[in-house]
Amino acid sequence: MRPSLQAVALWGKKAPSHSITAIMITDDQQTIVTGSQEGQLCLWSLSPELTISAKELLFGHSASVTCLARARDFSKQPYVVSADENGEMCVWNVTNGQCVERTTHPYRHTAICYYHCSFRMTGEGWLLCCGEYQDILIIDAKTLALVHTFTSSQSPDWINCMCVVHSMRIQEDSLLVVSVTGELKVWDLSSSINSIQEKQDVYEKESKFLDSLNCRTIRFCTYTERLLLVVFSKCWQIYDYCDFSLLRTEVSQSGQFFAGGEVLAAHRIIIWTEDGHSYIYQLLNRWAQMGAAYKTFSGLSKSIYPADGRVLKETIYSHLLCSTSVQENKSLPFVMGYMNERKEPFYKVLFSGEVSGRITLWHIPDVPVSKFDGSPREIPITTTWTLQDNFDKHHIMSQSIIDYFSGFKGGTGTVVVTSSEYVPSLDKLVCGCEDGDIFITQALSAAKAGLLEGGSLLKDSLPYKVLKGHHQSVISLLYPHGLSSKLDQSWLVSGDQDSCVIMWDIFTEEILHKFFLEAGPVTNLLMSPENFRLRSDQVVFCVCSDHSVALLHLEEKRFLFCARKHLFPVRMIKWHPVENFLIVGCADDSVYIWEIETGTLERHETGERARIILNCCDDSHFLKPESVLSVASETHKHKSVEQRPSSSFQFGPIPCPGLQVESSCKVVNAKSFSGPFNVLPVKTKWSNIGFHILLFDLENLVELLLMTTICDSDPSNSFNGSEIPRRAKSTVEKKTLTLKRNKTACGPLPAEAQAKPASETPAQGDNSITVSEETDGIKRQKKMKSSKKTHPKPSRKVDANLIIDAAKLLLSCLLPWGVDNELDNLCIKHLNILKLQGPVSLGLASNEDHFSLMLPGWDLCNAEMKKDYSKVNLFSNKVLDLSNKYTSALPNQAGMPRGLENNRDSLHESNTLVYLLRRLFLVNKLVNMPVELAHEMDSSFKMESVHNKMKSPGNDILHISSFYSHLRNGKNEPHIPEADISLLKLISCWRDQSVQVTEAIQAVLLAEVQQHLKTLRKTPVNSQPRSMTENENYQTMQTQSKMEWAEELELQCITDHLSLQTSASLVKHGSNSNSANFQDTEDMPDRCVVKESESPGEPRHRSWIAKMCFCKLC
Amino acid sequence: MATAMAPTVVERIVLEEEFRWLLHDEVHAVLRQLQDILKEASLRFTLPGSGMEGPAKQENFILGSCGTDQVKGVLTLQGDALSQAWLGAKPPLFLPLAQRLRVAKSRRASLCPANPTLTYQDVNLKMPRNNQLLHFAFREDKQWKLQQIQDARNHVSQAIYLLNNRDESYQFRTGAEVLKLMDAVMLQLTRARNRLTTPATLTLPEIAASGLTRMFAPALPSDLLVNVYINLNKLCLTVYQLHALQPNSTKNFRPAGGSVLHSPGAMFEWGSQRLEVSHVHKVESVIPWLNDALVFFTVSLQLCQQLKDKISVFSSYWSYRPF
Repeated sequence: MRPSLQAVALWGKKAPSHSITAIMITDDQQTIVTGSQEGQLCLWSLSPELTISAKELLFGHSASVTCLARARDFSKQPYVVSADENGEMCVWNVTNGQCVERTTHPYRHTAICYYHCSFRMTGEGWLLCCGEYQDILIIDAKTLALVHTFTSSQSPDWINCMCVVHSMRIQEDSLLVVSVTGELKVWDLSSSINSIQEKQDVYEKESKFLDSLNCRTIRFCTYTERLLLVVFSKCWQIYDYCDFSLLRTEVSQSGQFFAGGEVLAAHRIIIWTEDGHSYIYQLLNRWAQMGAAYKTFSGLSKSIYPADGRVLKETIYSHLLCSTSVQENKSLPFVMGYMNERKEPFYKVLFSGEVSGRITLWHIPDVPVSKFDGSPREIPITTTWTLQDNFDKHHIMSQSIIDYFSGFKGGTGTVVVTSSEYVPSLDKLVCGCEDGDIFITQALSAAKAGLLEGGSLLKDSLPYKVLKGHHQSVISLLYPHGLSSKLDQSWLVSGDQDSCVIMWDIFTEEILHKFFLEAGPVTNLLMSPENFRLRSDQVVFCVCSDHSVALLHLEEKRFLFCARKHLFPVRMIKWHPVENFLIVGCADDSVYIWEIETGTLERHETGERARIILNCCDDSHFLKPESVLSVASETHKHKSVEQRPSSSFQFGPIPCPGLQVESSCKVVNAKSFSGPFNVLPVKTKWSNIGFHILLFDLENLVELLLMTTICDSDPSNSFNGSEIPRRAKSTVEKKTLTLKRNKTACGPLPAEAQAKPASETPAQGDNSITVSEETDGIKRQKKMKSSKKTHPKPSRKVDANLIIDAAKLLLSCLLPWGVDNELDNLCIKHLNILKLQGPVSLGLASNEDHFSLMLPGWDLCNAEMKKDYSKVNLFSNKVLDLSNKYTSALPNQAGMPRGLENNRDSLHESNTLVYLLRRLFLVNKLVNMPVELAHEMDSSFKMESVHNKMKSPGNDILHISSFYSHLRNGKNEPHIPEADISLLKLISCWRDQSVQVTEAIQAVLLAEVQQHLKTLRKTPVNSQPRSMTENENYQTMQTQSKMEWAEELELQCITDHLSLQTSASLVKHGSNSNSANFQDTEDMPDRCVVKESESPGEPRHRSWIAKMCFCKLC
Repeated sequence: MATAMAPTVVERIVLEEEFRWLLHDEVHAVLRQLQDILKEASLRFTLPGSGMEGPAKQENFILGSCGTDQVKGVLTLQGDALSQAWLGAKPPLFLPLAQRLRVAKSRRASLCPANPTLTYQDVNLKMPRNNQLLHFAFREDKQWKLQQIQDARNHVSQAIYLLNNRDESYQFRTGAEVLKLMDAVMLQLTRARNRLTTPATLTLPEIAASGLTRMFAPALPSDLLVNVYINLNKLCLTVYQLHALQPNSTKNFRPAGGSVLHSPGAMFEWGSQRLEVSHVHKVESVIPWLNDALVFFTVSLQLCQQLKDKISVFSSYWSYRPF
């Protein structure tokens, strides 16, 4: 998912499953972070009263999360690192849910420990990792690059657990680890920092065999600086840190496995088990009971007195003080942790997460005591919460896209959707249901009905179709036309639990053919790639849950054969187009090769050879049935559909040639074009519960709003209002900006440019077209060239109604309703948008694969917002402040389409839509920038190539510079650039104040809408607007936008012309001017290095702007 | 199944009954079976603490190739570690096999390794140029960990640990729970098997830098590289003979990438020298217990999958609720 995508999640009534495998509480005790077997992370807000509410779900990992740890000094940067089974590591900012850094190592970590030694280390510190490999890996906390390892000289083995010991007494940090074979090893940390940085081998200082297996935790008692708690699965032990002599062993009861433990206070420990129980023990020291005299003596003589294990062994024993337990309906295993904060407002909290997704908290009293009779006291559960609780509590927010179907069912419970597919070309959402029916509906209307107020009215009028034919739940759907345009547009293929596959005509609602496979539930329907054809037709593959693959020939309505020999689930299907082989890769890494013509098993291979076979078929298309199941790859799939090569995105406006080639390949891969609006069905592993994500592509939306109108426009149209040219001018400026990034969508542009003579264009040719503008033109032109290369075909025409509706829905979702009732009404009247039913769950993308989705009830996570229920969908109170600041920075005659107030309202409406969306796009991009930038810089550091390092930030500077040059262009309207620059500065400064993108967007939207509708408030609203027909609406808009395009074309002509004449010199000139303008920005990397050490929060790349901002505006 | 009829009420009751039986009885039966198999497998790896006290037993393997007898090796394996080795060359030039073994054994007796490792290795090599005999053995103080066996062993013990947690007293409530457990166990088993079936692909500089080359007495000459790895059930020993490329050589220098077995002609840069592999000798020996272990892995993987399949049969009937 690209950052410019706006996502809205429609969760439905059922929470996605979240089997907790890792849990932690952040140092500020405001957030609980959990990792799940499904691969998602969940952020839960923890209130000062210890109530829990789920806030956000973070998507990114494709496998089970193995461990979580903090990745920075938490007071400076709220970063948490997560690692998964596939070896991927991500650093997340837990305040806004963004993925800051990610990497994949061939190592699977089971525990991570953050270490930073401020006076000996530069940089952000280390992540000490252990897992399914020998010894300890050291990973840089900032870049996630491998720094070095701690190696052991004696019997190296996997490490189970570790802890860092900061001993005040010795003034030395040490790393204590226990290996799988039960060997305790100690490395010096602080004194070996230098040798690690110089990549010298560092061997353990001490090692001792502990004679017990499955070590779970090792903890050092910081209170006594003497004791060491080691928890094994069958016993826990206390050691003397001085000489590692065993002081105490306590064996678990039968059937109980210890899972971890922590030191509560001096001589007080807590131990917890796999099944969610915990026990607090007092460690009693015989000396302590022998009277004060002896105590002082022993205390004094600590250093002199020999730490003789034999003497001490008899003096320590344990006494059970308290215990905690969970309710009966437990599910194994529990992951638990304990948070020991000595600072005041914080609690001592024991927390646990279950596989069922339940979080339980216990507030541990400062001084736990047993009952009077000496028996252990039970500490009650303080809070317990699940994701589902959130969904139940905030059911108004957990709207599903298909909720209204239940109405048709005569009220007998809700319909359970077991599969769904979105057809972008028809804007149809196809939902297969649990009872065998298939619903087909308009996706956008359905979304509106679910989200907006008055949606219930829409529900009744919503067109829908029901296909009846299956008797069991429909679990797989395929729309062949979406994958290959050669196939009939009316076909739909569906598979059910009963191994029945039906081919439908979705327009006539009739069954074309029914296949009975007799091979178990049809879990996946796949389509062979275009380059593979069997007798000139493509083949549909049905992956069944009995591990067989059935081949269907759609055109002939024929069942070809069923490949049934597989012992393990099918993971991968490939083709050998030349020899007509079907290559099936199974979960056990074996490969089956089937001859498609005859349906016979040609070969079966395992191991090395199987891998070679699978790899050598890489050139032929392949599909992973697995991918449909996991969310992360859903987005991957989506990414390819989106046609936006990620690489070009990261490298600024002009990708270097190598990347261009790569990206064009990607574009070719993505055949189907998705519009500005898309519905993404998402399903999590091990459950049938799915949800939908609505995706709005801001730039595409703006693009198409203009483009569709041009396509349909009638040359005889006249434009009215002398203001328009000027307005057009300003939009062009912004237009270029959007064009910058939009390579594919502007593909059809040049063609149209030639088709339409630029006759209508008023001669704008002021000589104010400055050099900087020309450079933009050149850039744009380059862009055009590349887009011609990559995407020769014009994109599919998208229904104009759909686009406007999508834009309105997006605005509805982003606006903070209820802030000002009058404003709400004005919005409803003039923008013709509907109010939200409840707050929506927005998504925030940090890069293509990593994004976060808010959960129902996110709006109640902020304590201060709890009281005010009138406000719907306000992201935070910060938004109002920001919005006010923005308004004050906004000059009265800013770029808003002034002068249109007196025009017809419909024109006004559509213009406003375009204007607002454009603003949002700009804000989105500005606020998102540092993340990319940081990313780029990091990657360039990683590559350590001077060339790249110079190049990639440079690109971005060009990028930014284009904003400014755009603004400078408008010299004929002197007040605008000034104002816009100040706005830009303001927004850039937000970025540095770690304002979230969503907040910024909402603030700007609110301010702009307020500003815009203020004028309307004064003038009485005439009764005309609502009756205005859509048609007129379009026409006026068409003229408007046509003007803009004409302008655009003219600009291009000029630049074309110029560049033809003196292309070389101009380019040079252009780059010069750019660099001249932005010398400041070029210094940036240096500056940020300086600033980094002191500044918390977001990456500080723009702090210089922030400074300017502070003095001028804030 | 193809009758395309929804199950009736009676059918549902029966199915539910059957599912309950599956969760409460059958699952535990399968888990116990799995545990037994894996315990058996882990015995093969002689896990410390798995009941067998004292140092792991030592086994000798004579590595030879049937065709050319350029290289012979005798490796002694103790658990996951090579404890002794010797490499030798063409048999006609040497003592008869039995005698050579005796030599190896007598040496081993003098050692008492505290930790299971590859401790003794003898390499005899006949250089093709001058029929010269070379003989190398492990330094007596050194052992070489076979990472592959160690990893496989650890993965198995992880799988056993996962299964140990769910004994008969534990009640599975949902099918999904069983599926998740099976997935976790299968992940460990697949990794264990893959560690044995896929030796690391190393580049020649990596082999040259590895500790194995420094373990011999007398030290290996600079034109020899040795690599030991497990491939499936075989213990493999490869000896690369190198020759330096002349700086002015007309040959196109292209460093070879990573590979399990490099072929003659592979080039690499080591230190300041450019080297080319002139001869490759690969000898191997079947380790019977590795074969057993692999069979156990395969069988238990199939058991897991079958249990998963049994569970998911029922998911067809009530997909709408957690089954």
